[in-house]
Amino acid sequence: MSEARAEAQTGARGGRALSDFTVNLDVYSGPYEWLLALILKDEVEIFEVPLREIVSLYLDSRPTEAPDSLERDTDFAGSATALVLLKSRSLLPALDPEADDDDDEALSPEQLAERMHQYLKIKRGAETLRARFETYAGFHPSAHYAPPRSGKLRIRQDKLTIAARRTFSRLVEPPVEHLGPITLTLQDLAAVIRTSLAHGPVSYETLTEKMDRLHSAVTFAAALSLAYEGRITLHQPAPLGPLTLEPVR
Amino acid sequence: MTPPSPAALVEAVLLVSPRPIDRKSLQTATDLSEDTLKTALTELESRYAPERSGIVLRSVAGGYQLATNPACAPAIERYREEARPAPLSNAALEVLSCVLYMGPLTRGAISATRGVNSDAVVRGLLERGLLSETGTATDSPGSPALLATTDEFLAATGATGREDFPPLDSLVGPEELARVRERLTGASEAPAETPTNGAA
Repeated sequence: MSEARAEAQTGARGGRALSDFTVNLDVYSGPYEWLLALILKDEVEIFEVPLREIVSLYLDSRPTEAPDSLERDTDFAGSATALVLLKSRSLLPALDPEADDDDDEALSPEQLAERMHQYLKIKRGAETLRARFETYAGFHPSAHYAPPRSGKLRIRQDKLTIAARRTFSRLVEPPVEHLGPITLTLQDLAAVIRTSLAHGPVSYETLTEKMDRLHSAVTFAAALSLAYEGRITLHQPAPLGPLTLEPVR
Repeated sequence: MTPPSPAALVEAVLLVSPRPIDRKSLQTATDLSEDTLKTALTELESRYAPERSGIVLRSVAGGYQLATNPACAPAIERYREEARPAPLSNAALEVLSCVLYMGPLTRGAISATRGVNSDAVVRGLLERGLLSETGTATDSPGSPALLATTDEFLAATGATGREDFPPLDSLVGPEELARVRERLTGASEAPAETPTNGAA
């Protein structure tokens, strides 16, 4: 179980109910709103996000006295429900539209019993494996990886195959239509940033002061992307402090 | 320079390998005969006995591997300033159990056995090196990849091979299976068990 904690400064900014709700999980640490964006872009795996912990974090940090508490609760309930739906749909086996109709028929009790038997055995096998993993966890191999010689870089076939499969194949994506159409892209906001930087550094707050929260979140993602590509630099002297974007000369 | 002893040669090769090395590869690398290699390994087993050494010689995954003595693990973890990796989730263990006992399997077959989509779990296990793609199911539409457990998996579970794991049918007693069947079918007597491919 991850060690999670909430850092919420309530009422710090008006107008964006959940903008100050941050989470600290094993798989992600940062604003809750960005977590939603990352999940929708498949950058964070929904399976690895502990939804129960997020709900607990929110309840622990919930400002009951804040004037926008109702709006905040409604926003959170809406997004959390969407996450639960997304996760539960993702857990179902992918539907094959060309599958035989026989597969849809209800299993007979005998067939169900056979499946349950098999699953019970697999589950017991998993318990055996857990015990073995625990027993042998203390062995650390010598781990002396010889560095590749110059000009003789070794490519591991199995790693290459996995990388190629991940690049050229995609899993069936869960339906997200209920979350609304995509109305803006990183490229759009990257163009806005580049234009704004034409006359020198600009603060993130200035850049996004007339934007709604979705545009602000995507603008931040675009800024990170540009910084990663080395096209701009980001300066933030203190955590959660003012952020300044500067062009790279 | 004095030529190294056979045990020294084997020891040196084992030291630079993070993975278990089988006898044939050891023989090729050290240019030792089978009997000499056997003697050298016996000498190393004695030298690296867990009672008096921080390093032990393991016989895992069909080969040999030098590793630290598990009794020293806390010191190593303090030195590396890293905790032991988080234990695998129940879902990951179930996927490994499926593949170990019924594999090689496709992702679809794993999901069908568990009753839930297991693609994300499989992806994590591939990245951890506990599963690998060993071929394709050519008789299935789209020739999906077949997954099998790896040598890293055997090393992590302290096994020399699949035969080290208890057979699948021995994991659940007939009385328990009969109870499941009775609950689902209402039958008072369980039919004869259909044989299942076990690991042994």
